[in-house]
Amino acid sequence: MSVVVVLVLCSLLISGGFLLAFLWATKRGQFDDVHTPAITMLFEDRTPTDKQ
Amino acid sequence: MTDNNTTACVQCVHCGELCPRQPTSTVELRFCCNGCKSVYEILRANDLCEYYRRDDHVGVPMRQLQMPADAFVALDDPAVARQLLAFTSDTMHRVRLSIPSMHCTSCVWLLEQLDRLDKGVLRSSVDIMRRQVSIEFDPTRTTLRSIATVLTSIGYEPVVRIEAGTSQPSNADRSAVRSLYLRIGVAGFAAGNIMLFSVAQYFGASTMQPALITVFRIASIVLSIPVLVFCASPWFRSALGALRARRVNLDVPVSLGIVVLFARSVADIAGGVGEGFLDSFAGLVLFLLVGRLFQQRAFDALSFDRTYRSFFPLSVRVERKLEEEVLPIERIAIGDIMHIRSGEVIPCDSVLLSQAGYVDYSFVTGEALPVECIEGALLFAGGRIVGSSLKLAAVKDVSHSYLASLWDSSSTRAHRTTWLHLSDRFGQWFTLVAVGAAAIGFLVWLPNIAIALNVFTAVLIIACPCALTLAAPITLGTAMGLLGRKGIFLKNIGTMLELERTTDVAFDKTGTLTTTSPDVRYEGRDLSENEREALACVALQSAHPMSRAVAIALGRASAVPSLQRVQHIEEHVGQGITGIVDGMSISIGSSDFVRGTTSNNQNAASVWLRVNDDVVGAVHARPLVREGIRAMIERLQSRASVWLLSGDSDRDRDVFSSTFNVNAMYFSQHPTEKVDRINGLRNAHRHVLMVGDGLNDAGAMRAANVAIAVADDAATLVPACDVIMRAHQLSHLDGLLRYARAMKHVIVFSFTISVAYNTLGLSLALTGILTPLATAILMPVSSLTVIGVSVAGARWYARRFL
Repeated sequence: MSVVVVLVLCSLLISGGFLLAFLWATKRGQFDDVHTPAITMLFEDRTPTDKQ
Repeated sequence: MTDNNTTACVQCVHCGELCPRQPTSTVELRFCCNGCKSVYEILRANDLCEYYRRDDHVGVPMRQLQMPADAFVALDDPAVARQLLAFTSDTMHRVRLSIPSMHCTSCVWLLEQLDRLDKGVLRSSVDIMRRQVSIEFDPTRTTLRSIATVLTSIGYEPVVRIEAGTSQPSNADRSAVRSLYLRIGVAGFAAGNIMLFSVAQYFGASTMQPALITVFRIASIVLSIPVLVFCASPWFRSALGALRARRVNLDVPVSLGIVVLFARSVADIAGGVGEGFLDSFAGLVLFLLVGRLFQQRAFDALSFDRTYRSFFPLSVRVERKLEEEVLPIERIAIGDIMHIRSGEVIPCDSVLLSQAGYVDYSFVTGEALPVECIEGALLFAGGRIVGSSLKLAAVKDVSHSYLASLWDSSSTRAHRTTWLHLSDRFGQWFTLVAVGAAAIGFLVWLPNIAIALNVFTAVLIIACPCALTLAAPITLGTAMGLLGRKGIFLKNIGTMLELERTTDVAFDKTGTLTTTSPDVRYEGRDLSENEREALACVALQSAHPMSRAVAIALGRASAVPSLQRVQHIEEHVGQGITGIVDGMSISIGSSDFVRGTTSNNQNAASVWLRVNDDVVGAVHARPLVREGIRAMIERLQSRASVWLLSGDSDRDRDVFSSTFNVNAMYFSQHPTEKVDRINGLRNAHRHVLMVGDGLNDAGAMRAANVAIAVADDAATLVPACDVIMRAHQLSHLDGLLRYARAMKHVIVFSFTISVAYNTLGLSLALTGILTPLATAILMPVSSLTVIGVSVAGARWYARRFL
């Protein structure tokens, strides 16, 4: 049965990793604005010459 | 014989408004005004015409935006800049600006290409929901001021507020959303994992090794500690705050339920009695947080709190020691000589030094027509200069002006507690019933302490009004989001319940029921092209606001008056203007001046026209009642009393006498009289909704139970209010009130469902058979039902009433 304990630990570790990733992303502001990126991703990329 | 406008169907390439008869055009492109044309030219010069390809006619109409070049000079002041900049280093400054006029995909696109219009800009990113743009720029290559000027030149004027004590678009709202997401993340993680452990125990406990069960239970406790300490803390804080103020709110029974749930679970596990309720505990907190997310997301869209300062220019040109300098308005001292240009707002009470001028007080008093002032006249802050620029001497500083006093006198807000009352009343009631039932259960089972304690805690757990706390925020939050998409923005979710109680609706006239720009029409005999031209040429020589109206009515709005042809121009202040064009003697002015008789037309402001000795006709400016208003008011009258409070003279009484009851119309109302009328109604225990648009309504809007401000577009400044409504939505006001009523029914229905679930749970708890499994099923099912009913109700009624 100890294999179950190992599996539980593994699953906690993995989901904990995802939790940390989520917390990190939130703190970096990933979820501050969930509307504008949906619009901007449809714009054409600007070619380097545009920037000059 | 009205003038037939043959090219009326041509739309402006930039903003899509209808072009006047002689549109300003470049080759085949049509523009409604020079402002729109210049934006187009700026964009074309920078190869940004893609802007127009995303949506048709997307531009911001430029007719109202006429910014003088030094409007943002105040931004060069280091002290001002320091307040605005969010981050500074030698090579990069970051600023976050509010731009209320952004509204669509094209706006986002253009604003993110800002570096092509100003080479010093490093990066700009838009937040469309909050209508803000965050700009990083190189301070050595550009300045805050030139960025603001560039933005204004393409129609996106930033709203800059520099007042002591107010922060710029702050990070406060962001950090609130962030911490909510963090809590949801942690609670979701804990709930998911605890549920896995619990399900294993519910269905496989008999075949599991005792050691493994212990491991699962300890892991559950460890996982639920952050839920208790971190995720549930907002409710604990609110409940403690209420208890400290000797009140009981809905968060008290919620907190009680959460704590007891956790304590009982730990006790059960420690005593080896059972698996505890930790899965229900984590799930409950997760649901509560999701409910809060609904509440939070509705807040993003608009800023509602404005002071009179928001309406003023940032700076004015002041003459000091024979030199002109630009000063922030705070630094204007009594006696300063100011130059205020056409279209600018007078920042403080002052005396007119120029010979004569026109001031539009519509925003302060509600008068529709500009007032003519002569040298020495006292002008009040808030008036907008029309026509020519004026020289004024300040007699009071900005914070002591008439406008400021008007604002202050109205700032004592009436009690707004329906929402809190409702939740607190339920809180008290609920706490009483829950603790009472728990105590009774405890006493009944008393000889057996173990079962008695078991029943006591079970009752407190099941009585936790989780579904109740979800019902109102989710229903109202969803409704707010749906209304926002229609152009009706609510300040907070409690506003809906205030709207629902409305018994009386008071309307302002100018700008609310009527459009701000009147319908101007020429009536008279047919004019030849030459006569038309000649009349327009003379009219355009005058700065009088009606002169431009005359030119527009004649279809010559943008005709450049050829000065060589116009001779002997003579302006008679307060009467009219005369001149000779191509041998025709033209006079334009009041009935007295042109015809020698007083006009008998009381319905409209009229300007008479004469060519040689022939009075050809007159141009009438009539208020234009917004579309659908009459029908809306008639529908409204079946459910509420309707009042008209106008600051304007009763010139338009006839226009509204068919719609309003004669006794319900009040004209020439001073702002304080409006406040008195509203207070009068409130003292008679009526629940008053005030609908207005200008500063002259600000007092009445604060005095009313709930206030709606009407805005022609997103960029219009409106006084503090509870609801901002796009003008075209005003004809659906009755629908909004019916919707508010429906939302209350939805909430009551959700309450009933949740009470039914609680009663079922309570009976299980009192008989002592509330098992962790029953709780684990009952709690989420009741929460999900309530969420479903709330969202579905809000959506269904929105389709019906809006």
